[in-house]
Amino acid sequence: MLAVGIGHYLTVSAILLVLGVFGIFLNRKNIIVILMSIELILLAVNLNLVAFSASLGDLVGQVLAMFVLTVAAAEAAIGLAIVVVYFRGRGSIEVEDVNLMKG
Amino acid sequence: MIYAVAVFAPLVGSVISGLFGRAIGDRAAELTSILCMVLAAVCGAVAFADLVWGGATPGVVPIASWFDVGGFRAPWALRYDTLAAVMVAMVTLVSTLIHIYSVGYMAHDEYPTYRFFSYLSLFSFAMLMLVTADNLAQLFFGWEGVGLASYLLIGYWYDRPSACAAAIKAFVVNRIADLFFVIGIALTFFRFGSIELSTIFAAVPSHMSDSYVLFGHNYRSLEVIGVLLFIGAMGKSAQIGLHTWLPDAMEGPTPVSALIHAATMVTAGVFLMARMSPVMEAAPIAKEIVVVVGASTALFAATVGCTQNDIKRVIAYSTCSQLGYMFIAAGVGAYQVAIFHLITHAFFKALLFLGSGSVIHAMSGEQDMRKMGGLWRKIPYTYAVMWVGSLALAGLPIFAGYYSKDAILEAAFSAGSAAARYGFVCGVAAAFLTAFYSWRLLFMTFHGESRAEAHVLAHVHESPPVMTVPLGVLSLGAIFSGMGFRDLFIGSGWPHFWRGSIVNAAGNNVLEAMEKVPATIGTLPVVMGLLGIVLAYAMYIAMPLLPNILARTFRPVYLFLLNKWYFDELYDAIFVRPGFALARMLWQVADATIIDGVPNGVASLATESSAQAVKLQTGSIAVYAFTMLIGLVALLSIFLLLR
Amino acid sequence: MSAVVMNWIVALPELVLAVCGMAILLLGVAQKRENPLLASMLSIGALVLAGVLVVSGSRGQGYEGQLISDAFSTFLAVLILVGAALAIMLSLEYNQLQRIYRFEFPVLIVFAAVGMMVMVKATNLMSLYLGLELQSLAIYVLAAFARDDLRSAEAGLKYFVLGCLASGLLLYGISLVYGFSGSMDFARLSRAFATPASVSAGLVVGMVFVLAGLAFKVSVVPFHMWTPDVYEGAPTPVTTFIATAPKVAAMGLLLRTMIVPFGHLLAQWQQLVVLVSIASMVLGALGAIGQVNIKRLMAYSAIGHMGYALIGLAAGTEAGVRGVLIYLLVYMVMSAGAFAVILAMRRRGMAVEAIADLAGLSSTDPALALLMTIFMFSLAGIPPLSGFFGKFYVFLAAVQAGQWTLAIIGVLTSVVGAYYYIRIVKVMYFDEPAARFDVRHPAISIAGGATALFTVLFLAIAGPFISAADLAAKALFG
Repeated sequence: MLAVGIGHYLTVSAILLVLGVFGIFLNRKNIIVILMSIELILLAVNLNLVAFSASLGDLVGQVLAMFVLTVAAAEAAIGLAIVVVYFRGRGSIEVEDVNLMKG
Repeated sequence: MIYAVAVFAPLVGSVISGLFGRAIGDRAAELTSILCMVLAAVCGAVAFADLVWGGATPGVVPIASWFDVGGFRAPWALRYDTLAAVMVAMVTLVSTLIHIYSVGYMAHDEYPTYRFFSYLSLFSFAMLMLVTADNLAQLFFGWEGVGLASYLLIGYWYDRPSACAAAIKAFVVNRIADLFFVIGIALTFFRFGSIELSTIFAAVPSHMSDSYVLFGHNYRSLEVIGVLLFIGAMGKSAQIGLHTWLPDAMEGPTPVSALIHAATMVTAGVFLMARMSPVMEAAPIAKEIVVVVGASTALFAATVGCTQNDIKRVIAYSTCSQLGYMFIAAGVGAYQVAIFHLITHAFFKALLFLGSGSVIHAMSGEQDMRKMGGLWRKIPYTYAVMWVGSLALAGLPIFAGYYSKDAILEAAFSAGSAAARYGFVCGVAAAFLTAFYSWRLLFMTFHGESRAEAHVLAHVHESPPVMTVPLGVLSLGAIFSGMGFRDLFIGSGWPHFWRGSIVNAAGNNVLEAMEKVPATIGTLPVVMGLLGIVLAYAMYIAMPLLPNILARTFRPVYLFLLNKWYFDELYDAIFVRPGFALARMLWQVADATIIDGVPNGVASLATESSAQAVKLQTGSIAVYAFTMLIGLVALLSIFLLLR
Repeated sequence: MSAVVMNWIVALPELVLAVCGMAILLLGVAQKRENPLLASMLSIGALVLAGVLVVSGSRGQGYEGQLISDAFSTFLAVLILVGAALAIMLSLEYNQLQRIYRFEFPVLIVFAAVGMMVMVKATNLMSLYLGLELQSLAIYVLAAFARDDLRSAEAGLKYFVLGCLASGLLLYGISLVYGFSGSMDFARLSRAFATPASVSAGLVVGMVFVLAGLAFKVSVVPFHMWTPDVYEGAPTPVTTFIATAPKVAAMGLLLRTMIVPFGHLLAQWQQLVVLVSIASMVLGALGAIGQVNIKRLMAYSAIGHMGYALIGLAAGTEAGVRGVLIYLLVYMVMSAGAFAVILAMRRRGMAVEAIADLAGLSSTDPALALLMTIFMFSLAGIPPLSGFFGKFYVFLAAVQAGQWTLAIIGVLTSVVGAYYYIRIVKVMYFDEPAARFDVRHPAISIAGGATALFTVLFLAIAGPFISAADLAAKALFG
């Protein structure tokens, strides 16, 4: 049986990170997807932190993971609020429409 | 504390009247700046008295730190010693009187006067910073500050092209001299590792034999520094060669001429020599140069003064000449005498200028003496004070100039060197000419038939009390300052008075030696002065046709003097015109084609690259995020590759 | 940390400020009629109080090594508090006229200030992250504060999305650094890096991620893309705020992070900082040339200026850090002043932002034109204004550290930069006058005048500031 080591966790988390980052700039449709991608990045980080914490036998990583979860909640709240404000003005949340200002 | 108030009160006055002058009105601005000046004068006088009679100890009043970079330290601090205190007392007193006088003089001006008062106060502040400086950087700050104020005030009537030209000329000529001064300061710093006066003075003996090598010659460092500082002083004090700005500076309002171009700023050079006396004492060749330049200026300016027709220009050349005297004294090592003459001169020359201002005021702005004459009945008070000023200038007994000029000539006579002998001869000759042109001025202005136009003549009136009272105070100074201060400044108790603020080298006993000169030397200047008066009387009262005959007979000489030895023309030919030609060539060839071509090309390049640079800024979040990612990847790969 | 050291007193200013912020928030909610002026005044009071506590407070480490209070944090915290107070002061009139006059506005600035003060005090990756997020979250909301203005909402959205991405990268970097070194504590990290040769690749990757996340906050190339859009779209008082205090805090954080834990790796990250700095200077100079909106121009100017500030970091010496600190001080003051002038640009109640609106200002409002001229010349770095000294000290440090390229490129881009700053002066003094602006609010005159005085007189009063920066830089190098 394959033992699940730190390397595996890191690989998964790296994949999650890349997925999240790509989700931000490859997605052309919906801002909500961007918010989800951000969550994905934060999850990748949390996975990393917990895995390291466990392998180091040091609790600090898990403490930070808790903080990250909390901050992510606040971030999501603020993000959704901004999206709502934006939608009220623009009537659309298409990513491609977000280009009033440029140059 | 009081000392700091004396220095900073004018700044307060300047700021208030300058920034809020328009809001609070001219009267209030005048009043504020005058009150601040009066406060400064009182504090200045108290600080002086405290130091001389009150037993205060000399020291340094720290204000704040300014530069402290590496080894270069220059704090804001006020040096409180006899030399500085004397200057502070004189500057604040004269400046106060001139502020008051200006209220009357500027009353008919078409512009609001708050600007004028703000500049005057600013000047006073800068001058005070200069004389109280504890390090060369602060001294230079004051030095440039007075230069700036002088520029602003000469060009005060900015709608007159001649005033603007004169202001620019003063500025440029001073910059040339300042360049040398700055180099001098820089060399001082490199040689002594400090620009703080006390450190420099203490280190002079250990640098006696240092030298610079230039083109295979050895030059002693202290000599080089001394000469450079003196060139700086020459510019500010209008010595021969760099004097051309001073007569033109008379374009400014007359109180300005009195304050800046007679009593205070132009004496900054002399002050610098006295302040740097420990360095100058170690530089005998530089001192000889000082004497020769000073003596030449004294004689040269006096000859030119004899032929000028503008009342203010006569006095301007007389200022040049008197500054030359001061440099003679400084050059022979009698700095105390130089400062003594500086103080007495401040009184009588400010008096003469303000008196001539009163004349000009009475004549509705006319300055040409050929259009005056016979005024003494109409403005008797002004007439009287002009007599006092002239007597003091000519150095007749009991008047201030008698004591100081006499002392200078005695010092020059007793110093013994060849340069000093030259100084003595020039000084005596200049004394004769001084008396001559002074009485020429008096006679042409106040005596004889009136040559003014009728409507001007009808308008002649004595000046208001706000102008005459300062004249009265200055007259008292012109009469008594010589008598009163002689014993203090150069009498036998002088070491106790100066308390080391001026240093005379060990072998330098000019001050003792000058007490022992023969009596004939002492009376020589008086005799020359009387002769000058007699000649002036003969030429302008007894035989009024004589001057014209002389001018016609010795036409080349006359023209030579009238045109001020052709200095302006010479400079015009040597510097200005080739400068213009070069500039025109640079403008047409280098500038229009090369310089403009390149920046225009570069500018369009920049504009185009700008368009490219912002092309990425599409407004799309996706692109922005992508850029960030690419940036991150780029940084990572560079990092991992370079590792 | 071997011993449990709480020493909460080192965080007293932050605690007090946070409590004040919440109290003001409660007060605002409890009041029947909204009173933003009261909230603003109370917030300024709280900031001043915090300032007093910062200056008089005790020094030392606290929270088991999470926070430190030293000369460095004090210097920056004072700057941050001043910047926040200026932003609140300048917001009053604008918010009223733009109908965004709400009590939450000053409270959010206060919370952002708390976050920034934590940032400059952080000595642990965890407190670093928390401070950064507190600051960022507050500013996301502020950027979208003008709810009815689509551009403001868009600015908020962009800032939010990109900011979260940057935080994500930063966090990922933190997790790598933690995992490969076993600690988040700056002091322990520093010890772990004592022999650069043995540092693993994972650590190095983590460090670059951290650097990237922080570079976003100071808006340097290539993490600058949000800056122009957010500067332009956000309400002008918010832009004023973003342009001042957060720049100081983020740069301070970057300095401490690069010098303290990663200090031994100087030779490795130096090249990156040099590249980023050069790219920022060049883009800042070029990008601004074609702009017509003055807020957008200020954004590019900010990118360029942060590039200049990074020169000091790239030098990696104590003199370099001192240069950065002086740069932050003068930059914060002059850009706050410039924004004060921009806030004064309004006609019949409507804010205008085009450079062309400044045309002929010298004849319609000479005092305002003079202020703007002072700030533009100072931003261009023309002596004897303060901007010159900011540049002077970083260039000096770069030259002393042998970074000639940086100094030369810095000087060249300054010349290009001068072009667009002076263009504004030209528009104000030589173009046909446009219509007159409305009467200025006294707060704008006071803030503009005070910052202008500082900018002009810096030469004379620099002494104490430079010695404070000196002390702060020394504190960082221990």
